[in-house]
Amino acid sequence: MNKLFKNISAISGLTILLVQVILIATGTGAMHMSPLQVLAILLHRAGINMPVVYEENMEGVLWMIRLPRVILGVLIGAGLGVAGASLQGLFRNPLADPGLIGISSGASMAAVVMIIIQGSFPVFQSIPLLNFYSLNFAAFAGAIITTLFIFSVARSGGQAVISTMLLAGIAVRALCESVTGLMTYVANNEQLRSITFWSLGSLGGASWTTVMGVTPFILIPVMLLPRLAPAINLLALGEREAMHSGVKVSQLKVQLVILATMAVAAGVAVAGIIGFIGLIVPHIVRQFTGPDYRILIPGAALSGAVLLTIADLVCRTIIAPAELPVGIITAVIGAPFFIWLIVKEKKTIPA
Amino acid sequence: MNRLIVLTATLLVAMNTFAQKRIVSLNGAVTEIVVALGFERNIVGVDVTSTYPASMQQVAKVGHNRNISAEPVLALNPDLILGTDNFLQPAVVEQFKNVGVKTQIFKQEFSIEGTKKLITEVAAALQVPAKGVALVKQLEKEQASLKIKPTNKRVLFIYARGAGTMLVAGAGTPTEKMIMLAGAQNAASGFNDFKPLTPEALVTANPDVILMFDDGLKSMGGVDGLLKVQGVLQTTAGKEKKVVVMDGALLTGFGPRVIGAAKELAGKLNQ
Repeated sequence: MNKLFKNISAISGLTILLVQVILIATGTGAMHMSPLQVLAILLHRAGINMPVVYEENMEGVLWMIRLPRVILGVLIGAGLGVAGASLQGLFRNPLADPGLIGISSGASMAAVVMIIIQGSFPVFQSIPLLNFYSLNFAAFAGAIITTLFIFSVARSGGQAVISTMLLAGIAVRALCESVTGLMTYVANNEQLRSITFWSLGSLGGASWTTVMGVTPFILIPVMLLPRLAPAINLLALGEREAMHSGVKVSQLKVQLVILATMAVAAGVAVAGIIGFIGLIVPHIVRQFTGPDYRILIPGAALSGAVLLTIADLVCRTIIAPAELPVGIITAVIGAPFFIWLIVKEKKTIPA
Repeated sequence: MNRLIVLTATLLVAMNTFAQKRIVSLNGAVTEIVVALGFERNIVGVDVTSTYPASMQQVAKVGHNRNISAEPVLALNPDLILGTDNFLQPAVVEQFKNVGVKTQIFKQEFSIEGTKKLITEVAAALQVPAKGVALVKQLEKEQASLKIKPTNKRVLFIYARGAGTMLVAGAGTPTEKMIMLAGAQNAASGFNDFKPLTPEALVTANPDVILMFDDGLKSMGGVDGLLKVQGVLQTTAGKEKKVVVMDGALLTGFGPRVIGAAKELAGKLNQ
């Protein structure tokens, strides 16, 4: 009972924190607006007029640029958080994250190859829709294909062997990254800039179109993964034990990989590779909630959203009017915290 | 009398269309053209490549031309944003348009003809086509008086940001076009754009002159620093210490000062 109370309070606390972070992030940026003006603009959009004076272009910036960007950060952060938590559960390994097993690198390699191909085939420039979304399609396809490949390598006797899958993932990641590196040598200046943008991650291109584009791919995993949590809890005991308890292990593996890939691929497709969130968020949540996946997965969704929204806020305000790639900030915030966690863990584990 | 009123009214309207304009320019050459067309005081923001004229130092900088994000630009309340397609991310241009700020993206070609075309287009965007024509005429006059003696000197342009990052300008780069305008040849051949400098390639290219941005050479620690780079001393340019420096915006901008830049480079090469 006490534990239940603790979990409910953890989730509601995180929800309140996320709402606060969203409000602060929406109110802060290069264009100065007071909280009242922000509120008035949002209410005006909802059809309520407040007697607050604001300039017309404030509305444009808030509604067309800043708000989609904040929402995109929330979505992608949540997606990376749940993907990281579920992959760690699947691999029973605290180091597993979308970056480690090659999903992100596969997505970005496909995007980078696409950047180079686009330059050679004018057909891409002539069809605007293709020109604008081909990278997102490529990234998405790259993530899915990479995952399928890793899965097929790791299959033996109709079962995906988890340890093999982790090794295959690491090898595929190295391969993808070297192809990406090779591409930087055949790229021209313009392409090189796109590649850099892609490999460091940025939410700068956010618009309502990109938000609409990723929403289904991230909401589906965020909704469905918590339902798989009881099975993941049993999987933590070992595959055989989980099978004896009635978990359809093979099916569970496939579901977890598909849902995690979906969330990561959608994120990489619109914002490039944003590292660290999938790796550290589950660990942070575990500190407060313990290892129960029923609470860990929703907690990771909320914490991922909070962390990425804060990181993006920092990266677009710290050296304004320029901005930093958000991947740098997630690592700067994440890495020290992670090291602190390890040190703390070390003290509690008897050597 | 009535006629006079109508005339003043039309004049006032004509002045008003652009007298209050707030312009953000995201390219050095475009900035120079906007200034040359008489809109210097309307510029409220520029990118970091807009270093000329000196008055631009007092204007808000909206980040590096390759890494512009939408909000800082829009925070300056512009009603016209000008840029070129070789730098801006398409997503950012899309955002400008979504907010409803008039945005004009030009295609920049690195040649004297390209500069004339850019002037005409910028003048059209600012609704002063006549001024554009006048500026093009002035450029043509300068062009006619430009006497370049072709030399057989082979020039290598090195882009440096410290000894760690050194790139060589290959085919199709604005720098190569400028070297040719000045009557010389590019010592680097066989590749497009910029490529990292390797000592062997440097010795093979064996330039007579090494050309650099003035701040680029400074970042290397001057000529002495450059001579310490592997391979430089094995080239003709290195042996004779023939290093020519020019202001980056002037050398590669291809703005209204393009003829002056070619003259200056030719003069320095023939010293």
